[in-house]
Parts: sequence; structure tokens; C-alpha cells
Amino acid sequence: MAVSKCSRLSGPLIQELLDSVDNFLFDCDGVIWRGDQAIPGASEVTNLLKKNGKRVFFVTNNSTKTREMYAEKMAKLGFQAKTEEVFGTAYCSAVYLKNIAKLDGKVYLIGGNALSKELQKVGIQTVGSGPDPVSGGQSDWADVPLDPEVKAVVVGFDEHFSYMKLSKALKYLDNPDCLFVGTNTDTRLPLEGGRVVPGTGCLVRAVETAAQRKAQIIGKPSHFMFDCVVSEYGIDPARTVMVGDRLDTDILLGSSCGLKTVLTLTGVSHLIEATAHQESHCPERTGMVPDYYVETIADLLPALQG
Amino acid sequence: MAVSKCSRLSGPLIQELLNSVDNFLFDCDGVIWRGDEAIPGAPEVINLLKKNGKRVFFVTNNSTKTREMYAEKMAKLGFQAKTEEVFGTAYCSAVFLKHIAKLDGKVYLVGGNALSKELQTAGIQTVGSGPDPVFGGQSDWADVPLDPEVKAVVVGFDEHFSYMKLTKALKYLDNPNCLFVGTNTDTRLPLEGGRAVPGTGCLVRAVETVSQRKAQIIGKPSHFMFDCVVSEYGIDPARTVMVGDRLDTDILLGSNCGLKTLLTLTGVSHLDEATAHQESHCPERTGMVPDYYVETIADLLPALQG
Repeated sequence: MAVSKCSRLSGPLIQELLDSVDNFLFDCDGVIWRGDQAIPGASEVTNLLKKNGKRVFFVTNNSTKTREMYAEKMAKLGFQAKTEEVFGTAYCSAVYLKNIAKLDGKVYLIGGNALSKELQKVGIQTVGSGPDPVSGGQSDWADVPLDPEVKAVVVGFDEHFSYMKLSKALKYLDNPDCLFVGTNTDTRLPLEGGRVVPGTGCLVRAVETAAQRKAQIIGKPSHFMFDCVVSEYGIDPARTVMVGDRLDTDILLGSSCGLKTVLTLTGVSHLIEATAHQESHCPERTGMVPDYYVETIADLLPALQG
Repeated sequence: MAVSKCSRLSGPLIQELLNSVDNFLFDCDGVIWRGDEAIPGAPEVINLLKKNGKRVFFVTNNSTKTREMYAEKMAKLGFQAKTEEVFGTAYCSAVFLKHIAKLDGKVYLVGGNALSKELQTAGIQTVGSGPDPVFGGQSDWADVPLDPEVKAVVVGFDEHFSYMKLTKALKYLDNPNCLFVGTNTDTRLPLEGGRAVPGTGCLVRAVETVSQRKAQIIGKPSHFMFDCVVSEYGIDPARTVMVGDRLDTDILLGSNCGLKTLLTLTGVSHLDEATAHQESHCPERTGMVPDYYVETIADLLPALQG
């Protein structure tokens, strides 16, 4: 059944969508907030959705916060959200390593506190995070001692990323039995005011290039994060909508998992990119065409308040 | 004319090759030395070639030394080589920016002393090289001040590579008029004893990923370095052989420029990779099939000494 795509979500169409779904998955950066500022109207939207009996989850590729830290930020910005409703890649990476990969050993971590904490919570020790400036010469880098208990390398957002860490990761990953996990491949992290900083994708790409191996990616568009939500809540994909700002992560995930998809224009992707994918008629690109789009999720307010 | 490829260079075939060429281009890492150790027999090969009237040049993607520093290292290891016979990417990047791009402004340099020196020798000022650890929070990274005189970003080997540098490069490269140059895309740097450390390719890939732009690459397999040799010495490609250890840089450069190509097995690439390219019959891969191979360039000694 052909469904028209990339439709502006407005007027009666909003109520139609609301009636056809029970569950909302929201991306965070560029969708409900930018940096430390909520998108105007966003908290009202998610709170009203819950009030109207919808289940609301947050699915974010950002690995710099634990579930608890996200819940704190949400409370601070006026979003009513429980810790268990947030699915960040720090948490989901820990779930993956513990329950799927059944890791029995330590993790060499290129990442921050949140990843470290979520991994420790599931009983996985980490080494390597924090500053690691270069020392010595080339020979020293090649001979840097390894921790024999390390059985996986995990790459997430790391403001302390350095050549030294790249060298260590290369050495660990030379062993084909060492797992290689990346939290996500977003190339940029959107902040307030349209500013951006480099995203985890750049770091994962650097390590993949050095190791000549592909990382197992936890974050969108990989369906693993959706699997986490399903396994904890048992939701019906056909009655679920993914709301995101990136065509190549949020929308693609939604399409791949059989969800409805809404693109919001307050983040990374532009409408013109969505229509370009649509007009390409290219099979690999149709997954990045959203069902609907809004200028901002605040566009849903009238239908929710009415 | 079909030419049999990937032939073991031995016996009378060596003399045949020697008679058919006047010029030798040698890669350095993995070909004439590994780290700070000469490949056994390599100095004798180079010196005898010159004694036998061949012209010998060194063409290396390694950006960590100036021409003078390479000449010093060569003298130390017993190679008779003049400064002007060495073409490293630090020198060639300066040539490119000065004479081809005609850069009028500063360079934001993600690279070391050698690049800095060669650029200064060409009258181009650099900013940014050396340690640059992260400070402040995400907002500070996004707002890091730029030098308005910077008109190009150059990425070479940088052991001080950091997230902060990635952030600055992103900001400079947001301006489409800012040039983007990478010295080379080698993913690894081979050292003594078969060890390897991450190569410049990993850093270039990180910056390309964040800026969503492709770097202009100076080093092999781009033909620019060969153009440098030709413009300074006027050599005939048909009477020139490229000797290298990497199929995707040295051999590909040789093929693209119409040179004969000789793979040595003392470095990065393995013989089975060469035969795999050969057996693929894939047009994009034939350029990576060498005409000849040797276990080590010392295999040339008997013919040169006789």
C-alpha cells in the first residue's frame, strides 16, 4: 500500500497520527533540547502526550550521560521522565556487552564517565578513560603495555581522545577475539544556537581506520536500541512513532523497525535532504524519507492541548 | 600488449629490469628502513644503483621529517643521498600550498615540526601544532576563537592529535573557502620488528568525517609527489621504476603514472593481497598489481655487485 511520504504534519493530520499510535520514541539532541536548553514547547509536548495516555521513551545516541543523569537533566528542563524511560547508548552498550556479547573481561574504554558508570553497574570493569597524552617516541607507542584482562574496546564520546588512545585501541584490536563496539556514528553533536562540535562518529571512524575493523554499532540506525525498548516494554512497532532530527539515524531506525517516522527541523537534517532522498527513488535511501515532518515538535501542541 | 604481472624478480630478470630503467623511486618505511633500522642490504643497493649510473629518489608519505632531516637519517644509516633527492609529504605539501594553491594566509596545522618547518621555509605561517588538550565544556569547544588569517587546514602525522584539534579544524573547514589538505592516507606506520602504530590516514579520516569534506591528498597514490620529482628532474616515466611496500599507495602511484612497479615484502602489504587483486580482474584493482616483487630489495644485490 503506497503511503505518501514527507508530509507536513499539521491540522487534522496530527490528530490522525495521535489516534494511530500508542508509543512515542523521541531522540533528544536537536529534538527536545539543544545543548542545555529545551526546545520551546518540547516539555509541554512530552508531558501532554503522557497525560493523554501515550507511552513516551527517549532514545538517544549521546553516550555522555547515564540514565540517571538524563533523568536529572530532564527534570531540570521540565520534562516528566523516569530513569527507565531513557535509553542512551551508555546504558545500551552495557546491556549489549553484558547480555548479548556476554563479555567476560575488562573493557578498554575510549569514552567518558557515563559509559564507565553504566559498564561498572553491570559488573564490567574499564581501563583507559580520562586524559592520555602522548609520551615517548614511536617505539614507545608501539610497545605500550596492554592489560591482558581486556576483552573489548568500546568507543564513545571522548573529549580526551588522543593519538595515544588510538595506539592502544589498535593494539587491543589486533587480537581478532577482542570485541569492538562503538556507541554511535553521529558525525556531529548539535548544541544551542545552531552550533556543532565533533561527534563520536569521527572517533569511531579513526579507530576503525587504524584497526582495519568495523565496530559493532549500538546506536541508531542500528536496531539494537529499539530492541532494548521492546525487551523492557513490549511495544508494538505498528503503533509506535519515532521522532528525530537526523535522517540517517532516527528516521532510518524508524523505517527499519517498521515504525512511523516524524522528522523535526530543529536539529541536524534539513527538509531539502529528505526530499532529495525521496526523489532519488533509490532503494537504499527510501528508509531515510520520513512519513511526516514538523518545524518543531511544538507544532503538536495545538492538537494535544485542544 | 599483455604483460605478465606480479613476477618474482630474480636471476636474469633483475638485469633485464636494470637495463630498461634509468630512474628508481624508493618508498622509505618498510622498503629501505623500518623505524630507525635500515633493511639489511638496503644501503648497499641504493649506493650501487647510483654507482651504476641510475638516478635514485626517495618518495615517502611520512610527514614527520623535513628533506634535511631525511638526508640526516639516511647518512646515519649508510645511504648516500642528497637532500634534494628526497621527496617527503612535509616538503611536497609546502610546494603544493605555495605553488599550486598559491596560498595567501596562514595554515591551521594538525601536524608536527617538520610540516611546520617546511611550510615556514616556503613563507607560510602555521598555528596550532603541538599539544592541545581539551578544556572547558561543550559550549567552550563550540565557541573556540579562530585566527582570521587562517586560509587552510593541513592534516599530517600528529602524535598530539586531540578532540580539541578536531573541533578547531571543524570550525575552520566550515568555511568553504578554507583549503583542506591531508599529507597522506596511510592507515598505519610500520616500525621495526613488524610492529605498527596508527598512521596519518586515521587522523585525516577523522577530520574528513567531522567536516564532511574530502581532503586534497598530497601523498601516494595521488600523483602530485611524482609531479614534484618530474618538475625538479624531468624524468621519463617509461624508464622509471617505483619500489614500494604498499599496494594501495606505492604500486598504485606507479601504475597511475606509467612507471614500472616493484613490490618488496619487508613492509605492509603481503604477496597474497597482490595476487588477490590480480585474480579479481577488477578494473579498479589492477593498478595495485605490481609488475614484480622481491622478498627484500637486498634481492637486487647479486645483479648489482656482479
